[in-house]
Amino acid sequence: MAYEPPVTDYDEIVENCTCAFCGSNCDDVDILVKDNHVVGVRHACRLGASKIMEDEDQRLTVPMIRDENGELMEVDWDTALDRAAELIAGAVRPVFYGWSETSIEAMKPGLELTELVGAVIDNQATICHGPTVQAVQNVGYPLMTLGEVKNRADMVVYTGSNPMNAHPRHLARYTTFPKGFFRKRGRFDRTLVTWDPKYSDTAKLSDIWIPFEENGDYGFCNAIRAVLKGKELKQDFISGIPKEDIVALTEKMKNTQFGALFFGLGLTHTLSKQRNIDIAIQLVQDLNKYTKWVLLPMRGHFNVNGFNIFMAYEMGFPYGVDFCRGYPRYMIGETTTIDLLNRKECDVFMVIAADPGAHFPGGALAHLVDIPVIQIDIHWGPSTELADVVLPGTFIGVETAGTSYRMDSVPIYMKKAIDPPETCREDEWIVNELLQRVKKIKEASK
Amino acid sequence: MEYILKNGIVYDPINEINGEKKDVMFKDGKIVNSVSDSAKVIDVTDKLVMPAGIDVHCHLAGPKLCVGRLYRPEDERRGVKPKTDITRAETGFSIPNCPATGYRFSRMGYGTVVEAAVPPLEAKHTHEEIIAIPNIDIPPLTLFGNNWFIMQFAKEGRIDDIAAFVSAWLKITKGYGVKIVNPCGSEAWGWGMNVHGIDDPAPYWDVTAREVIRALAQANEMLGLPHSIHVHPNDLGHPGNFPTTINSIDCMKDIKKNSEYRNQTIHLTHAQFHCYDGTSWRDVTSGVEPVADYINKHDHVTADMGQVTLDETTTMTADGPMEYDLYELTGLKWANKDIELETASGLVPFIYSGRNPVHSLQWAIGLELALMIEDPWKICLTTDSPNAGPFIRYPRVMSWLMSYQRRAEMMDNKEVHAWAGRKSALGTLDREYDFYDIATITRAGPSKIYGFEDRGHLGAGAIADIAVYDLEPNNFDPTRNAAAVEKAFSNALYTIKDGQVLVKDGEIVKIVSSKHVRTEVEGFEDEEKRILEEIMPFFNRYYTIKFENYVVHDHYAEPSSVYKVNASK
Amino acid sequence: MTYIEKPSISNVVKFEDPDVAQVKKLTVMLNTGTDIYQGACKKRGSTLKDEYRKVAGVCYMDPKDMARLGVGNWESVLVKSDWGEVVVYAAHSRDAPHEGMIFIPKGPWANVVVSPETYCCSDPTYKGIKATVEKTDKEVLLMADLMRDVYKKYVKEGDKPEELPSLGEMPVYKKIRSG
Ligand code: SF4
Ligand SMILES: [Zn+2]
Ligand SMILES: [Zn+2]
Repeated sequence: MAYEPPVTDYDEIVENCTCAFCGSNCDDVDILVKDNHVVGVRHACRLGASKIMEDEDQRLTVPMIRDENGELMEVDWDTALDRAAELIAGAVRPVFYGWSETSIEAMKPGLELTELVGAVIDNQATICHGPTVQAVQNVGYPLMTLGEVKNRADMVVYTGSNPMNAHPRHLARYTTFPKGFFRKRGRFDRTLVTWDPKYSDTAKLSDIWIPFEENGDYGFCNAIRAVLKGKELKQDFISGIPKEDIVALTEKMKNTQFGALFFGLGLTHTLSKQRNIDIAIQLVQDLNKYTKWVLLPMRGHFNVNGFNIFMAYEMGFPYGVDFCRGYPRYMIGETTTIDLLNRKECDVFMVIAADPGAHFPGGALAHLVDIPVIQIDIHWGPSTELADVVLPGTFIGVETAGTSYRMDSVPIYMKKAIDPPETCREDEWIVNELLQRVKKIKEASK
Repeated sequence: MEYILKNGIVYDPINEINGEKKDVMFKDGKIVNSVSDSAKVIDVTDKLVMPAGIDVHCHLAGPKLCVGRLYRPEDERRGVKPKTDITRAETGFSIPNCPATGYRFSRMGYGTVVEAAVPPLEAKHTHEEIIAIPNIDIPPLTLFGNNWFIMQFAKEGRIDDIAAFVSAWLKITKGYGVKIVNPCGSEAWGWGMNVHGIDDPAPYWDVTAREVIRALAQANEMLGLPHSIHVHPNDLGHPGNFPTTINSIDCMKDIKKNSEYRNQTIHLTHAQFHCYDGTSWRDVTSGVEPVADYINKHDHVTADMGQVTLDETTTMTADGPMEYDLYELTGLKWANKDIELETASGLVPFIYSGRNPVHSLQWAIGLELALMIEDPWKICLTTDSPNAGPFIRYPRVMSWLMSYQRRAEMMDNKEVHAWAGRKSALGTLDREYDFYDIATITRAGPSKIYGFEDRGHLGAGAIADIAVYDLEPNNFDPTRNAAAVEKAFSNALYTIKDGQVLVKDGEIVKIVSSKHVRTEVEGFEDEEKRILEEIMPFFNRYYTIKFENYVVHDHYAEPSSVYKVNASK
Repeated sequence: MTYIEKPSISNVVKFEDPDVAQVKKLTVMLNTGTDIYQGACKKRGSTLKDEYRKVAGVCYMDPKDMARLGVGNWESVLVKSDWGEVVVYAAHSRDAPHEGMIFIPKGPWANVVVSPETYCCSDPTYKGIKATVEKTDKEVLLMADLMRDVYKKYVKEGDKPEELPSLGEMPVYKKIRSG
């Protein structure tokens, strides 16, 4: 990266803002403000900074609906909200998807709307850590807050995830580099291990890199569990790793004082899906017979975990919750978004703070061609190309304050640094408007 | 608005009203001595009237609950109820969703429920759930027993600084009182270890449970907080743990109380789990007798039952090492959640069964406690919900306490295993609670213990939290009708909260917001400021969150009910 | 024990390299997922721009595989799977060696070739997909053009998307007031 001179021309520094990008939710970000514009960001990584220093060309600034030619045209808020409310009120099987990049405060009216019309509400967990949640439901969930790792861990393992790319400050702020209370020398007091078929940017920083073969994760964890239980390995190589090395690694893991395992989508997205996580969790549980081990899924969006928590406390189930019968139902593979789209069941799709156009398989997106799509977001993105109503929201953590839950479930109140553009509205306001308008339509038709 | 609740049979132990036929009047949400002629009359002739229930110890809102809901959809699928015109959908049995939690307490005639364990770092989460729970007031207890600052100060004997820290942290977390869970043991769990007994020091910190309990109790009394320290002692659930229990209480008997309303300086919670004799699960027997005897002879302690209800439930506690032991014992899915610088916690599903000898003994021990502690003001009804059973079973526990016949029947019919009778004294205890006693252990006692001068009774000035049950005490025999007792206490005829009828005929008729009940110490601001300045460098270095973002902001705690405490000694 | 020693590979494999046999089509395993460039560009919001095409419309390959196909960095390749086909740029993988494996960062281009099958687990199949790679002369499309081409949601009957003018790199919509 080219050297960029520090920004010196600003009116004000807003300290301790929370980065609204990845699940690390770094809350030490300083935003430099001039004339109600962000002119600089301090402490955030490249990802976080890129989001905060947004591309204003593509900012959604006005409500839009499609005209008869299928072109988007600007309309006033009333027209756009009424159009969206009519679609929702008239739907038989609406799906409200997204929520992971907005605040808990915006989810509240969203859930109320869901209950009112009997919709399905779902978030990005459905396409990322869904298998993790299923595995947790199978075998358990031994976790911790990130400060436990910072203060105590002498061994840190990453597998199926490449934090240097997806959570760039994870190692620096929480797990590997910082000086912890019992790890006063920071990086030097810890062993960093990466299990990954690829020589990833995280592997490059590691003390130990275990390149098990593609799809070798299950076999590899299983082998460690076997060694832990005193079994002898019968093959010379397991998942491409020599058995002596597996034994040696197991020994190391047993003899740490505090170990932490972090896993990402590399584990959830291969064919064995939740079974990979099952075995990783069980491995950590087994290790606790000898010493302290904990684990944590590397959640992607800054509030993907927040939605799961919010839904669990409000309605008892974490994601993919269907209200069509007047009570919540949660059936993986039935009430989850991709399955509903694959089966062409849904008849109105509302997406908020998410971009299925960028993240859903084409086979699932094909159904969005046939049905109306309502989008609430801050940027023009791939989903806008499929949207029939577009409602421009505001930027949580920069323009609007709100609550989020970090990947380790620590709740954070994200403050705001500047005022939102005049023509945009907060997500909470938009969703609440939709709720009120749908209520009116429903009452009128009674 | 004025109301008159007419001709009920009133049990109000704080005002020494024992089954009198009496009108209860209230106006603008408060109990009054008289109302005008235009008051609305609610006729409850001959029905059982009590102040609304107060639960002294329950896990109902916060991060542990959420882990439970997240990883136990099998529990959520029990107890599903569709939405109605008034209520939202309900899910869950031992870990209900927030709306169900509020409705179910409200249906049982409860008005105030204490959330027993709040890790400060995640206090916002607890308050978010309190916002989502309707119809009850919730005072949260903040966890201090394994806090690094507290351990350090306790080691150094800095009681003033602990008081300042507690005062500050109650404001920061919007908490009501001081909770201590497995002091030093949960910190040891940070390394996969535990401590045993009150003199076994935490690794590195080299401070013992005795020192932590004493220090926090002294600070608690220095501040004059409305509640005493609330203690879950070491060695929970271990055969042979009763001496630890007695030591935990006895080690602080010299500490003077500084509160007019309450009597105790320590509350021993879920005592059932702490009254085991023997050396293993094979030779375990009840250890209630020595503990009950101690409590009978000392006035500085109160306790709650932690009654096992013989259900499939979800255990959850800040006692992390205990949950791992339980996982090793049962093999059921284990969840854990350690919180930096503050505490640990864990969860394991648990299937209590009357066919299991140990569970049956636990069932007997809980009841023994309530029957052997002579003064009902010293013991409260709890199930440590959901640990020993879900809170919706309170009415069943009442029915057991009220009927010797029912208890004997359960032992005779083999509804519980023979161990219940053989290894405890339960079969010999023919004491039966009456309605006055029930009102004491679920209303009046809790009010005193928590310093809730404004609730738990029906005297003028109290908030109008009232429960009416469909029983006629003057022509009903609870000792012979356990099922009817359970049914009536499960479905209040009326639940009135702040003067509003929320439940009628066992159904929710109105939804109101729950209040966050919390304590604020006044007159200690300089000390708080000094201690915050002192610890801030340490805080910034070892927490992973900025102090500014750690604090529970006001908007998480609306509406609030604040107990102001004047600490100008 | 350490695996940190990594076999070195030359960044450029010459075509006349005796190890390399030229082939028309490679059968590969396709993985998709996030990477920092795609992530930064997406979250900034610059998805209409050429830069998004450069970070997400790209297939990272082992240099040896690229040599086999005879494609250089930033030349177009056609990736086909059971689910569709898409034109993306070829580029040397930073994580090589991994012959027989390609990586397309998540995004509209990858979506065309990944599988929507969830096997009743809610998650579609984003990784471990059988695919082929071949050289092509076609251009990699900009995001808006790709979405129009693939999904044709607002393409009028009779119109061929590939013949329509490009939607370009800026939002296109009718404003209420001009100026
Ligand atoms: S690591 Fe994640 S949360 Fe932290 S600054 Fe980078 S993108 Fe933002
Ligand atoms: Zn406890
Ligand atoms: Zn408890």
